[in-house]
Amino acid sequence: MLPLRTTKEIFPMAAKSDALAECAPITDKPGTDRAMRSAILQARRGKKAAQFAQQQAFDAAIAKLVYAIPVDAQVAEWFTNESLIPVVRRRWKKILLNPAVLSVALAIAVIAGVFAYRVHQHLNDFPGADKARRLLTVAASSRSILLDPLKTEAGSLSDLFFMKHRLEHYDVPAEFADFKTLGCRVFDDDEVHRVAQIWLAEKRMQFFLFPAEKDPKDGTVKDFTDWRFVELEGWTGAVQQRNGVCFMAVIRGQQKDIAPFLEKKKP
Amino acid sequence: MTGDAAKAQEAFQATVRDATLRSARDEPPPDRLWFFRDARWRCLAVTEEGLQAEPGMLEEADVSPVAPMQIEQLEPDQLGVWISAAPEPQRSALALFYLDEFSLQEMLAMLEIKANEFSALISSARRQFQAWLDATTPYHEGDISDGGQI
Repeated sequence: MLPLRTTKEIFPMAAKSDALAECAPITDKPGTDRAMRSAILQARRGKKAAQFAQQQAFDAAIAKLVYAIPVDAQVAEWFTNESLIPVVRRRWKKILLNPAVLSVALAIAVIAGVFAYRVHQHLNDFPGADKARRLLTVAASSRSILLDPLKTEAGSLSDLFFMKHRLEHYDVPAEFADFKTLGCRVFDDDEVHRVAQIWLAEKRMQFFLFPAEKDPKDGTVKDFTDWRFVELEGWTGAVQQRNGVCFMAVIRGQQKDIAPFLEKKKP
Repeated sequence: MTGDAAKAQEAFQATVRDATLRSARDEPPPDRLWFFRDARWRCLAVTEEGLQAEPGMLEEADVSPVAPMQIEQLEPDQLGVWISAAPEPQRSALALFYLDEFSLQEMLAMLEIKANEFSALISSARRQFQAWLDATTPYHEGDISDGGQI
């Protein structure tokens, strides 16, 4: 079947109004499109109003007579007993393949995906997770030459931080105490404040030590000794909090890549 | 459409049969206009076997203000015969238009003609029918006290 076009598409030129009026519907129909309604209105109000009124009366009289034309009894019976005009049921497949429906579905899927990702990202959040994510971006952009070269065991840096920078409890957990360092630095961040960064030889891993987040309600710091994780753009951090200081081990990869290091010896 | 009730019924039943077969094959008629389109083509095929009306042979006259009164005097069969004697596609256009069941777009889709053609067919048929009315059913203003007032 040819696709139904609107009246506007059918009569593109200015003369369309007269042509439309010539085939104006005999009775008002709810489905009459705007161009036809406009042509009828114009015909009723224009110079040819009387002529149009005659045409409408003529058509109405003919239509009345058409309905009086006798119909064969057998055919009439068919029309009263059978539903000859099939109700076209829109099939799901056809509806789903409609470009508009596809676009809306795609948009909803993207929005839902972003929302789910955000929810998942914040589901296991802990106080200081935002700071930890911020430091993941620092880890991603850092180069080892930015740090002061220092080859030692990570566990021994606590004294250095305390003696040189007056950073109390900036301790590397026992799981990572034996790791060999390549360099370290202490810097101030606008949001995270005093941060100690340690660069390791193993798997380009980095450690960060920074002040824990205080509870905004009562101003206390709630430590946690289990490992909690943050992820950002391919970087993963395992965070632990003791004595008001957060320790974060950062690796380029996923949680499963850092998990083996967390199961090492405990104090 | 055919000018012959028996032929029309035959075409109609063939359309219904075809629809039933399609439904049985799980391929029902695709849209509500299918019945009318199919029946029309069957009617055209039937009428092609008989005498054909020739276009452009009828006189034309402007639609008269008293046309409704003239039409009232007609028997329905007379109108049926006049329409069935019209050449295609004017005959189908008149049948669909005066059934007053379809939108312009639907009629164009069924007849597979352009809108300006459709408009011209209807307009021309009105004038031809008026001329035929004037010839067969003349109306005099004195026939009805308020004749001519529409």
